[in-house]
Amino acid sequence: MAVAMWAEKYRPSTLNEIKNQTEIVGRLRKFVETKAMPHCLFAGPPGTGKTTAALCLAHDLFGERYMDVFMELNASDARGIDVVRTTVKEFARIATISGTPFKILVLDEADNMTADAQHALRRTMERYAETCRFILCCNYSGKIIEPIQSRCAAFRFTPLSEDDVKEYLRQIAKKENVRFTEDGIKAVIEVAEGDMRKAINTLQAAASLKKTVNEDSVYLVVGRAKPADVKEMLELAFNGDFLKAREKLRLMLVEYGLSGTDIVKQIHSETFRMTIPEKKKVALADAIGEADYRLVEGADEEVQLSALLARLALIAERANQS
Amino acid sequence: MHLPWTTKYRPRRLSEIAGNRDAIDALLNWVKSWDEQVPRKKALLLYGPAGTGKTVSVEALANEYGYDLIEINASDSRTGDAIRRIAGMAAGQAILFGKKRIVLLDEIDGINLSEDMGAIDAILETIEKTNYPVILTANNAWDPKIRALRDVCQLVEYKHVAARDAIPHLKRMAAKEGVDVDAEAIKLIIERDEGDMRSIVNDLQALSSGRKKLAYDDVAWLAWRDRKENIFEALRMIFSAKNCLWAKKAVDVADIDYEMLFEWIYENAPRQLTDLIDRANAMDCLAKADIYLRRVKRRQAWNLLAYVFDLMTAGVALSRERTKPSFVPMKFPERISLMSKTRRIRGIQARVGAKIGRRCHISSMSAVKYYLPYLRIIFENNYETAAGLSRYFGFDEEDIAHLAADESSGLKIEKIYARLTS
Repeated sequence: MAVAMWAEKYRPSTLNEIKNQTEIVGRLRKFVETKAMPHCLFAGPPGTGKTTAALCLAHDLFGERYMDVFMELNASDARGIDVVRTTVKEFARIATISGTPFKILVLDEADNMTADAQHALRRTMERYAETCRFILCCNYSGKIIEPIQSRCAAFRFTPLSEDDVKEYLRQIAKKENVRFTEDGIKAVIEVAEGDMRKAINTLQAAASLKKTVNEDSVYLVVGRAKPADVKEMLELAFNGDFLKAREKLRLMLVEYGLSGTDIVKQIHSETFRMTIPEKKKVALADAIGEADYRLVEGADEEVQLSALLARLALIAERANQS
Repeated sequence: MHLPWTTKYRPRRLSEIAGNRDAIDALLNWVKSWDEQVPRKKALLLYGPAGTGKTVSVEALANEYGYDLIEINASDSRTGDAIRRIAGMAAGQAILFGKKRIVLLDEIDGINLSEDMGAIDAILETIEKTNYPVILTANNAWDPKIRALRDVCQLVEYKHVAARDAIPHLKRMAAKEGVDVDAEAIKLIIERDEGDMRSIVNDLQALSSGRKKLAYDDVAWLAWRDRKENIFEALRMIFSAKNCLWAKKAVDVADIDYEMLFEWIYENAPRQLTDLIDRANAMDCLAKADIYLRRVKRRQAWNLLAYVFDLMTAGVALSRERTKPSFVPMKFPERISLMSKTRRIRGIQARVGAKIGRRCHISSMSAVKYYLPYLRIIFENNYETAAGLSRYFGFDEEDIAHLAADESSGLKIEKIYARLTS
């Protein structure tokens, strides 16, 4: 059996195979029945089935050869106005020849597009609405400009339930002849937090370590897979070792390839778990939010985040004194 | 001995030349083909940037295979008559006994048409009559003034020497001179000199003189040698200024571009301002300067540049309120050295990410985030699966080496991979 990435190999290929997100699947089936659909906005955390749903919808609408009238663009790889103006337009403006009523263009990670690019996209969506339907996928619908949101049917994808994750994992394990202990599968479910891709990747990595996936092998994977510790960086900053904290930040950005936005999000969730006066946490949130906003605007990640670290260290210090 | 290394270690055999294997093979095959019969095109034009080994490969070939090399280069007089005299003689005379010959006309795009009258005609004539291989070299084969020559020559391109080809040669050279050179330091020199081996060897010699060890940081300073004092002076002004005007003067004193000055201030401000409040305020000013800088760039709003300067100089200077004076040495911006140190790695990572992305419907950035950590675990622990996945994603040797824990496990994975594909 040829080796493959399980998360891809076991990706559902038709809507019927999607076992979770029943409400969403129900609405998408209606599109297939009527052979019509509006522009759509798929919002939700990673690994909840947005791209899968888009692929399955196109498959069910157009059949096996759907790839002819289907295009997938990644806003993170090709963001900016130019891409919208050229690639998207080129695809959208030419009517289909294969007899399908319209084409589908999936724009993945659309929340990574700048506001300018989104406005350009909005016009393209309107102009070519006859020939092309857009599905925009994003983690946060809030980062999509209002005019686009109002032109799309919104679908909110939620993290998978533990039972659903468990069911999927069992099926995959069976087909791949992977043995597992109950503890092992439970651990996978726990770390995945409803993110199916993370669950499957964890399972596959754990299965590559030992014949049987158990709690130990899962936690070994989890420990290794965590690229760098935001918490550790924050502790350094709070203990006054700013230079070490900045070094750590640099490592995360440059060597591990984390995005500044990812790190801000983690800083945000970490600080609220810390033991500092509640009132100070609001001040922290204010500083973090400002940094987050600046990053979205395209500011230098390291400069902004290290300024944030210096600010957080100051707030925490004052909190300790009072 | 003060012989330049470029002379001392000038390659004497073709195998001693770094890089350009294809070009060297083409050269050798063409010269050898004369033993069978005179090829259709009786001249070869080696072209490519300076310091890629064009001349030296002809010399090494002549030495290794026993040819007499008759050489005319740019420094010789190259009027039509002179060329006819030397080259014509060399090419025309058939000798019964004695060595075979190669005629080398170096740097032909350096011919000054107004001075070297009739030079092109003379060369064309030489090629037409020759009984021996004629080899020409040029930096730019597409220079209009040598078009007539190009038409009668077979073309062979020399490219910039790649780092991985140059490094072993340079390391060996330095070792013979008793200098231990970091691979990262060599890479930086190669990058600076854009693969021009002659400059690289010269720089390597200059930097190594009087040293036993050459590390990355020794080289990083290279570009700043002359300006170090100015930069330090500017930084001292910023970190000790009591008023805005004085601090802002630093921009003129530094004499480097403002983005570079920003990097220097950004590196050193938190080192100089150790009080928590001062530091937070200074970093805040730098963060704001950065925002203005983005606006300048994005909207081409050069009028905003003044505010960038204000914030990064005066803003930082006046943040100093509580920090007690003490001597802290200035540091080279680490971020810049880290970026060039990791450029190659980041390049591979982006490529691996793109390959994963294509299969898994995801951006290369997200692929790095969501898949790479797990792939690493698999590559470190299960070579069979790693090889299978390499095939699945279409990874090449470099990608595999990047994901594997070390060199030997990388090679093991490659072996299994090779078995899978055969």
